[in-house]
Amino acid sequence: MEMQDRQIIAAPREAVFEAILTPEMLKACIPGAEEVTGSPAEGFEAVVVQKVGPVKARFKGTVTIEDVVAGTSLRLIGEGKGGAAGFAKGNATIRLTDHPEGCELAYVVEAKIGGKIAQLGSRIIDGFARKMADQFFARFKGEMEGVEPG
Amino acid sequence: MNKMMSKGIGAPLPRESARRLVEGRGSYIDDIVLPSMLHVAFLRAPFAHGRILEIDTAEARELPGVVAVIDGKDLAKVCAPFDTNPPGVPHHSSPPQPALVIEESCFQGEAVIAVVAQSRAIAEDAVELVFVDWEELPASCSIKEAQSDDAAPVHGGFETNLALRHRLGVEDVSNAFESAAHVVEASFEFGRQTGVTLEPRGIIAHWDPRTEALEVWQSHQVPWQMREVYAKQLGLPQQSIRVTTPDVGGAFGLKLHAYADELAAVAVSKLLGRPVKYIVDRLEAFTSDAHAREANATCRMAIDLEGHILGIDAVVDSGFGAYSIHPRGSFGEAMQAAQLIGAPYNVGAFRAVVQGWRQNKAPSGAYRGVGQPIACAITEDMIDLAARAAGIDPAEMRRINYRSTLDAGARATQSGLVIEELSLDACLEKLLEAMDYKELRVEQAGLRKQGIHRGIGLASFVEITGVGAGLYGPLGLPLAANEACRLTLQPDGSLTCATSVTDQGQGTLSALGQLIAGEFDVAPGMVRMIAGDTGRTPYGGGAWASRGMALGGEAARRACVRLRNGLFDVAAEILQCEPSALSFENGEVVGPKGPSGVTLADLGALCHYRPYDIPTGQVPPMTVEESFLPANLPYITSNGVHAVHLEVDVDLGTVELLDYWVVDDCGTVVNPLLVDEQLRGGIVQGIGAALYEECVYSEGGQFTNGTLADYVVPMAGEMPDIHVGHITTPTRASGLGAKGVGEAGTVGAPAALRAAISDALSPLATRVVKQPFTTRRILEAIMAAENARQQ
Repeated sequence: MEMQDRQIIAAPREAVFEAILTPEMLKACIPGAEEVTGSPAEGFEAVVVQKVGPVKARFKGTVTIEDVVAGTSLRLIGEGKGGAAGFAKGNATIRLTDHPEGCELAYVVEAKIGGKIAQLGSRIIDGFARKMADQFFARFKGEMEGVEPG
Repeated sequence: MNKMMSKGIGAPLPRESARRLVEGRGSYIDDIVLPSMLHVAFLRAPFAHGRILEIDTAEARELPGVVAVIDGKDLAKVCAPFDTNPPGVPHHSSPPQPALVIEESCFQGEAVIAVVAQSRAIAEDAVELVFVDWEELPASCSIKEAQSDDAAPVHGGFETNLALRHRLGVEDVSNAFESAAHVVEASFEFGRQTGVTLEPRGIIAHWDPRTEALEVWQSHQVPWQMREVYAKQLGLPQQSIRVTTPDVGGAFGLKLHAYADELAAVAVSKLLGRPVKYIVDRLEAFTSDAHAREANATCRMAIDLEGHILGIDAVVDSGFGAYSIHPRGSFGEAMQAAQLIGAPYNVGAFRAVVQGWRQNKAPSGAYRGVGQPIACAITEDMIDLAARAAGIDPAEMRRINYRSTLDAGARATQSGLVIEELSLDACLEKLLEAMDYKELRVEQAGLRKQGIHRGIGLASFVEITGVGAGLYGPLGLPLAANEACRLTLQPDGSLTCATSVTDQGQGTLSALGQLIAGEFDVAPGMVRMIAGDTGRTPYGGGAWASRGMALGGEAARRACVRLRNGLFDVAAEILQCEPSALSFENGEVVGPKGPSGVTLADLGALCHYRPYDIPTGQVPPMTVEESFLPANLPYITSNGVHAVHLEVDVDLGTVELLDYWVVDDCGTVVNPLLVDEQLRGGIVQGIGAALYEECVYSEGGQFTNGTLADYVVPMAGEMPDIHVGHITTPTRASGLGAKGVGEAGTVGAPAALRAAISDALSPLATRVVKQPFTTRRILEAIMAAENARQQ
């Protein structure tokens, strides 16, 4: 499953790039994040609680960062193990370009899921994954612009 | 005497037990509650193939109400893994299957950790707190993946994924093909399905350390088999185990098997010395119930100028899943899919190579029809292709090739099939008349000119039913294959029948009761049936391979004859006549001078309370037991012909079913209502197979449609009228003459629909290949033909 979209963020490109690499920002943006620790160099560890259809899952996972072109692009690779619910894996390629209003953040997200949550069928999962990705970047925009996301 | 003996047989009596079940008064596994009973929930493997790196259960153990958290190593101390390698099946292999994954998991949904708690809800909450760290291993999921040269091994213990290889028939069929006027060739694909029982699997196990006895209540078809499975896996004497199968809400073959998670529940009880309950929820059912049908095949057929078949050459590749299912193995479907190819016809030279492949998917097993729906679909499609090549009408093509018996002196067909006597000609004739075949063909031709694509599909089948000891015995599988009846006359003149036959909703017990009541000419309510309990019933198979009436009915008939003969001896002394002059009418002995006034109740009271009043002093046995399996036959073959009329919308790819007919020969029909509903129910399941049902796995081996929202089963509103007719050729294997009927609908329906859809598409020069025939696949077939024409 692949999703892509873009956000215009009213902040300078470099500031946006730096912000996305902090655990505090990841915790604020990842929907359902309970804990995010670590650093860009060593990777992050995250605990995320989410409800997918009838299945509530607490994913324990890692987020690593690859293909960093400072100020321009990077790839976030996440892998979460949800115990009884299954697992989720994904990566997000993020590209930043200058924009009259600040910067444009374009993202392409690929997600793979397995176990009980995969069984629930793509009709729930596709919508769920899209919502997760959209929320992540909407919150990020909100954090950067200093407004609460709607 | 003859008239009286057959009374009760053939009567369309309503099903005795239906009211209780419909009113919600059934007692299924989940209705049973034992004192101090615990509940089990499982953590299941998320990957198609994985290795456990670490298990952390600390948090789960701390949850209030959790009694134990048990892993594969814990259970291995009390319970051996399933070993499904019957000595009599050559070139077959299966890895050991532990009750819970010990290190390597081989399919998504395999049970890994058992959490035992005061309630199911607590157990499920605790499962979410168990943490298992996995290493994902490479997996082989589709048959093609499993058989490729660089396939990832499904199980670490085997380098290749080939689980079975066997050839049926002759080594060389080239002569037949060289001399043929036409040779047709086709490939086939069959999607994976599962049984989807209304009541999911479930079990209660109670190991009582005080008595050292194990009691098991299980939603299952074969209690005696399960007693022996648990005895072997847990190292217990057979007699220390009692298995009861109470009301069972549908089984269809999937409750014929021994499942690792159910074995785990039994082992947990043994470990804790407490009763435990485990009910499979619907999500678990999809990933862990036996799957079936996944197969790829190719077939060639040679015919002469007149359309006579000269030879068949087939290859069937069957998807086994991760383990050959215990205890009967996964090879049954593969073997029958190959062996039954061409079964209704004189086929000349025959060769079929069958291979079974391990896959990182749930184990495949028996599902209504076991391989025979695959064989029937291949055969009937080949017949249609050959008929088209030779320019012969499909019905005529079938008629000229039908076999009626084996060739003189032959014990079996080239594929090894033992056939008693068939009635395909008569079935076809009756069917064509019922559907007005000629008129339908005329109408079809007219509508085609208007761009309306209607299809007519025929499917003849020969079916293995009432399987006796001749099948599993030689394979080295210790399985009860007889059916038995223990019949008791009570002092009040009522009868008790304890039968080894089990009933999962078919109404078999009602029909057996009807048969017994008929033999004494009493109301069916005078016969009480006891079934599904190794503590109370005689030894026997249960329910598999359409045996309830074919074998269990004959055992009951024989028990009636013996009990009745003893009673006639007593009555003959009282009435001073020959026992052979006596009969029962309305439960009263009728002698040479008419009704005697001596009733069954009088005889019951006399024999039980006042035996000294019997003139000879000889009390006949008030309980008799008879057991039956066909003596000279490994099984009893039945046969029939299906037909379906449907319309394909070639723009949408949808199929509308217009009408359905079947003429079946199951020998003597005891209760025509039940027999017809067995056929209809089987046909509906076959329609589900043809149009809707498929277990869809992702490339990585994730089951992606394992809910009832996404795995589509047939609904009443989509079903056509199903017209049922009968030809009656009683089997000579028994006095009753009944053959099996439970699977006949499912065996033929997918073939009839395949044939009809391809018939509808024939003006577009295309056919359907992969079952189920979804709108997408039908449109793809149409578009592929269009593209081919444009090039």
